[in-house]
Amino acid sequence: MRGGSRPLAGVLVVAWGAVYLVTQVLVTPALGVLPTLAAGLVVSTVVVLGYPSALRGPRSGSLGGATARNRSRPPARRPRDPRGVRDGLTIAAAGRSMPLRNGLTPDAARRTAQLIRPLLGGDAIAITDTEQVLAFVGPGADHHHVGGTLQTRVSRLAIGKKRTVVVHGRDGIGCPEPDCPLRTAVVAPLAVADRVVGTLKVYRVHDEPAPRVLVDDMASMLSLHLELAEMDRERHLASDAKLDALRAQINPHFLFNILNTIASKSRTDPEESRQLLLRLSDFFRYAVRQDGHFAEFSQEYFFVRTYVSLEQARFGDRLRVRYDLDPQVLTARVPVLVIQPIVENAVKHGIADSVTGGTVHLRARVDPLTRTTSIRVSDDGVGMAPEMLDRLLAGERPGTAGPQHSGVGLWNISQRLDALFGDRYSFDVASTPGKGTTVDLQIPLR
Amino acid sequence: MEDDVGAQHTPAEVDATFRTLRRVAVGYFVVFLLAVAAFPVLSLTLDWWSQARLAGGMSPGFLVAAFGLYLFFAVLGIAAARLSSAVEHRMLDGTRDDGPAIGPDPTGEHP
Repeated sequence: MRGGSRPLAGVLVVAWGAVYLVTQVLVTPALGVLPTLAAGLVVSTVVVLGYPSALRGPRSGSLGGATARNRSRPPARRPRDPRGVRDGLTIAAAGRSMPLRNGLTPDAARRTAQLIRPLLGGDAIAITDTEQVLAFVGPGADHHHVGGTLQTRVSRLAIGKKRTVVVHGRDGIGCPEPDCPLRTAVVAPLAVADRVVGTLKVYRVHDEPAPRVLVDDMASMLSLHLELAEMDRERHLASDAKLDALRAQINPHFLFNILNTIASKSRTDPEESRQLLLRLSDFFRYAVRQDGHFAEFSQEYFFVRTYVSLEQARFGDRLRVRYDLDPQVLTARVPVLVIQPIVENAVKHGIADSVTGGTVHLRARVDPLTRTTSIRVSDDGVGMAPEMLDRLLAGERPGTAGPQHSGVGLWNISQRLDALFGDRYSFDVASTPGKGTTVDLQIPLR
Repeated sequence: MEDDVGAQHTPAEVDATFRTLRRVAVGYFVVFLLAVAAFPVLSLTLDWWSQARLAGGMSPGFLVAAFGLYLFFAVLGIAAARLSSAVEHRMLDGTRDDGPAIGPDPTGEHP
């Protein structure tokens, strides 16, 4: 059961228990069966409807607490083997729980070496990168120091030739320590694509080396995990880069216009210009300091209203805004810097070009039963022609006459939502020339 | 002069907060109304409600009238007050000083 389903089920059980006690056990005479069932159903309905509704209290005490929740969650525990096989006893089980899935780090290498040592029939297991020993488990650990440079010739040979090397006899290993107990070694390279990134070394203290095929297979499996780790890393980098791009693309024309507005108001209304400057600093502070991919909706709402208040200083009565927010949505976690670019798009392409101005409507709802957060930004401005909408969604700059900018925003949002939610979201933009534009976003409730 | 920008909100922000708080209040009022209205309905339709005997020889209806409703009102009031405060805090208070992500610069610079 996910999220709040478990406590809800618990509350329902307690509610039915209480109904049974009050109507059947503690009372004389007992209530009839049908009225009892009806009472239970009424209580259950109240619990089910009331639990996720707007009537529930705040989930946390303060926004400060919400910021603390920005830290990343620990990785989900991997499912246990349905056959009851303990992790580490079979290659398949080891493969499912391979620590190297998180990358070739000393800690992951040490845990991997401990995990696969009984599987490979070696007395000592070492995992290295191309420069140093990352982990060494077994006899010889006293001088094969973790963090030390590669001492054995055989490691350099395996890295250089990019293939598995089997060594019989301690001379072949090439360990400079005369009392080294290791006699045979099988060294297999660990590769990501065509690039060797390290080695898996299986040592024995007697003359029969570990089975080469087994070491080869294990090295291939470890390489696969490293490759997956690399892909994960690249995916995260790409996602971070998209967020950075959005953060960096705050339109210089927006800044230029706001500063001009503030400059003009500084003579006629110094207090308002001071407030605008403070709002501008809030705006940039929020944009720059968001380091995670999610934030509480209330923080994004703060960012949006900061932006809108700045634009209202420029547009005056031409720009009107109406927020319609569900109380529960305030604590929902939404992707950062997603709502403001949509609102900016509505202002720029809907309201700015309209002589009479218009109203931007931000509506946010939470559906606790489908666990969905719905955000709708609509305007009654001039709307967009289908071809311009297509260009915006494709990330092209609309028109060549002026260096417009927000097309990148919509495209960027779409890409980031893809990376964050896969196909578990919807992002629809509908626009009618002369009537306005509506952007609907539905994301999983977090 | 103290920076009290948080106390100055646009009409749209205040209006949005008002409407959200109104939604909270209406929701709680409906619950209150249903609970209070249920009492006479049960008294009229269910004999068991007034004739059965619970602890101390009191009927369920008497127990609810004597204790249950007051407990219910207290819980409802506290929940409504907590939610309303949280909503107002999140919708009107700035996040200027509320956390490291968007709070004041750790170097001490502050607009």
